[in-house]
Amino acid sequence: MNNQQDLPLKKDIAARFVPKVVALMVYLGTLCFVFTLFMIHSTKLWEGQLSTQLTLEIPTTHGHPSADLQSRVLHLLNRTPGIQSATAVPQKEIASLLHSLLGEKVDETLLSLPIIIDISLNNNEIVDIPSLETHLKNISSDIQLTDHRSWQAHVSDVIHMSVLIALVVTALVLFVALATTTFATRTSLLIHRQVIEVLSLIGATPSYIAKQFQMNALKQGLFSSTIGSLFAFLTFMGVGVLLEKIGLPFSIDSTFFSQALCVFVLAPFLTALLMMLSARFAVLITLRS
Amino acid sequence: MSEYIAQLVDLGHQYDEGSEIFKGVTFNIEKGSFHFLTGPSGSGKSSLLRILYLGLKPTWGNIRLFGEDPLRMKPATLPLLRQRLGVVFQEFKLLDHLKIIDNVSLPLRVRGVEAKRGYKQAQELLDWVGLGDCLMSYPSALSGGQKQRAAIARAVITRPQLLLADEPTGNVDDELAMKLLHLFEELNKMGTAVIIATHNPRLLERSPYPQLQIKEATINVIPNHRIGE
Repeated sequence: MNNQQDLPLKKDIAARFVPKVVALMVYLGTLCFVFTLFMIHSTKLWEGQLSTQLTLEIPTTHGHPSADLQSRVLHLLNRTPGIQSATAVPQKEIASLLHSLLGEKVDETLLSLPIIIDISLNNNEIVDIPSLETHLKNISSDIQLTDHRSWQAHVSDVIHMSVLIALVVTALVLFVALATTTFATRTSLLIHRQVIEVLSLIGATPSYIAKQFQMNALKQGLFSSTIGSLFAFLTFMGVGVLLEKIGLPFSIDSTFFSQALCVFVLAPFLTALLMMLSARFAVLITLRS
Repeated sequence: MSEYIAQLVDLGHQYDEGSEIFKGVTFNIEKGSFHFLTGPSGSGKSSLLRILYLGLKPTWGNIRLFGEDPLRMKPATLPLLRQRLGVVFQEFKLLDHLKIIDNVSLPLRVRGVEAKRGYKQAQELLDWVGLGDCLMSYPSALSGGQKQRAAIARAVITRPQLLLADEPTGNVDDELAMKLLHLFEELNKMGTAVIIATHNPRLLERSPYPQLQIKEATINVIPNHRIGE
């Protein structure tokens, strides 16, 4: 004598495929959403770490450029309004960058390494770049000034676009899960038409009948989306470990990890809740029409 | 001044392109009344009951149930009217996946009665109709007569204001038929209006209640009829 459901929904054909579809959708959806979070998180980190906004290069073709040229340039830069700091990158550091590209055996003394100066700008002031370039050309016509902000903005746009796409994909995946629930509910309504008719004839309101479906959807949703989310979490951890092993810069810091964990934990509840609501509305709309 | 539970005015019904099964049917069911619904097979007894329990929309005419006009009500509110009815369906309409006790307590559950209380009432009623040993059985394990009794128990468990029974003694022996009739009479004494569609002449002979007799697509009300009179 238990308080069982009045409709045999657990034996439905739909009950066999809905959990599988929902589990798969939650798996894909949570991974996609966590990827989105990762992109947002990484972008913020990258933008925060990127303090150098301009780079100045003094190329040398005949041996080392004079220290005088470097000091004149640094003097000009430090006097220019809007420039917070200007520092020459040590030659050893530039050489080490070349080692990573050309190998350790390369003798950097044979290469004519340029002088590179990192320039940090003051966020509150605007630097007159054309004027600065003119002054630099007066010192030496070979000096090249690169403004990173233009390509940084392009990269940010690309990242934001990919975040947007990932969010759309997540929403689509969620939509598919809900559409599956609605379709399965409508199929169940047809399958159990006679039982529903009897319930209705003995006074069951559409809301009472809908409750049977929504509780079933809630249970199904919790079960299947927990499985989907669990597998997504394992995949996420697996990918993290794998990328670290092959040496790609994929670092999961504690902030991002806690955000991702929240997604993996909350996704089943949110999915189950939305499935419950979609089942309820599907029943009410059908019965009341 | 009598209170009407159901009022049918100039009611008519026709199935698709077929002939009219009723035309110009007008009668009232008073609170606490007891009627037999009689007529030859195929005369429309079940259809009339279906109209009364809001399972069939009449083609013409008006109907008022408990003072409400169900034909103008929204479909979602019809169950609230049905909650005041008890129906014994000719084909029982027990839910095969539920145990007998769950089937019988279903109308209480639908009305929000606590499960424990519902089971207690269902058990008492099933004991009374002789199904005390079948509480945990499924309908498929029961004979036609047992299903009939379970269907009756389900219909009366809520003590409805109007009980509609379609051939409720069709599958039981005379002794049990009389016992079930006694149950309906007891319910009637408590204020439930009862309409029983029947073919059983012994039932009609034993109980001199008014008859709603369907004849040639119309209904004649025969007061306190006894067979042979």
